[in-house]
Amino acid sequence: MRFPALPALVAAAALGGCGSTTTVDDFRPTAEPIDIGVGEKVAILGRRDAGHYETDRDFIECLGNRLDHSSFQVMSEQEFIDALYPWFEPRTAPKHLKRLKRLMQDPVIQEKIRREKIRYLVWLDGEVESHGMSGAMSCGVGPAGAGCFGYTSWDKNAMFEAIVWDLVDLTEEARIRVDSEGTSYVIGLVAPIPLLTRVESQACSGMGEQLQSYFSQEVR
Amino acid sequence: MKLRRFMAPLVMVAMAQLCGCASNVSVRVEQTFPEVVAIPREISAALVMDQEFRNYVARPNSTTRIQIGSAQVDLLTKAFNGLFNEVKVVSSREHAGSGTDLVITPSVRETQLSTPSESYLNVYEVWIKYSLDIETADGVPIDSWFLPAYGKTPSSYLLSRTTAIEQATIVALRDAGAKLMLDFYRIPAIYGWMQQRAAAGEEP
Repeated sequence: MRFPALPALVAAAALGGCGSTTTVDDFRPTAEPIDIGVGEKVAILGRRDAGHYETDRDFIECLGNRLDHSSFQVMSEQEFIDALYPWFEPRTAPKHLKRLKRLMQDPVIQEKIRREKIRYLVWLDGEVESHGMSGAMSCGVGPAGAGCFGYTSWDKNAMFEAIVWDLVDLTEEARIRVDSEGTSYVIGLVAPIPLLTRVESQACSGMGEQLQSYFSQEVR
Repeated sequence: MKLRRFMAPLVMVAMAQLCGCASNVSVRVEQTFPEVVAIPREISAALVMDQEFRNYVARPNSTTRIQIGSAQVDLLTKAFNGLFNEVKVVSSREHAGSGTDLVITPSVRETQLSTPSESYLNVYEVWIKYSLDIETADGVPIDSWFLPAYGKTPSSYLLSRTTAIEQATIVALRDAGAKLMLDFYRIPAIYGWMQQRAAAGEEP
């Protein structure tokens, strides 16, 4: 009767503590679905121009995989930057619509986008931050064995923004912001038991569902 | 006696640590790059890439060697093909001939490497500094243009040192191509030469 208390405690911590809160905010100039023709693609690109961070490639891949199950085709980041090399490298990529419009005045770039059937570009920006670490854990090795004792926790915050550009009409179609926060724990009971919050995956799921709802509503 | 039993593995671990820290890293970058999306101008150029440039091995520090020769030849050939409608790649200045408008000789001035142990950042960074000596077919110098390029890994987490340096170098080479495409015709000396050429009616 003494043993179920410990697993119950751990399970309660896992369920209660590791849960995350995800908020999805979006802005669209219209409630109309975004038209996407048969064979047209949506490209995903992460921002790389900031010096201190890069948009997490795992997040970009996760979003690409989520959207891949949609009715439209998704072009991966590497495929997209290779197809339009060197105009979407960190040094050259347009950060604003004004720059995109200027870039699209080049007929060879326009033609390449038309030939590759890239209709929309999803610009991703954001990162995952950890902060507020508390608690203490110590691990040791002795003749009788090894073990960790103690408890530590930290907060994780994933914040991502996606901007959807129409590469044909050269307009901004949507802007989505996802915030996901949660707390991770490691409990040292001889073996360290990690109870990690999955904020990045939650943010990816929230953003993916939102994007899918825009594009999958109407297929031309 | 017990202490002696523990000593042997400890000494072995310590030796492995010391050897590991002092080991040399040799990275071979054999990446091919995408064709550039650009309309080349009506200019013919000879690109002089000698054996030293083709087999170039960067030594950013005493323990690291990065073989970038073949990758930089591929990158620069493709980039210049996006700038000029005719590019002839030659191995020496003498082979450039007189039928071209420009003769361009690229060389590597310097390479630098920054690792997490030096910068305390979780990334590997590579800088490659190129110099492009640009002259007319007659040997009249136009400019010696400095072309810096930068690349870094997104994060070095779970990457081996070799893979991380290779990835950062590929990003730096792509950056060199991007800067070349973006800025070549903005070089004041090139702009001036183009103006002169247009005034002389040489440009169709």
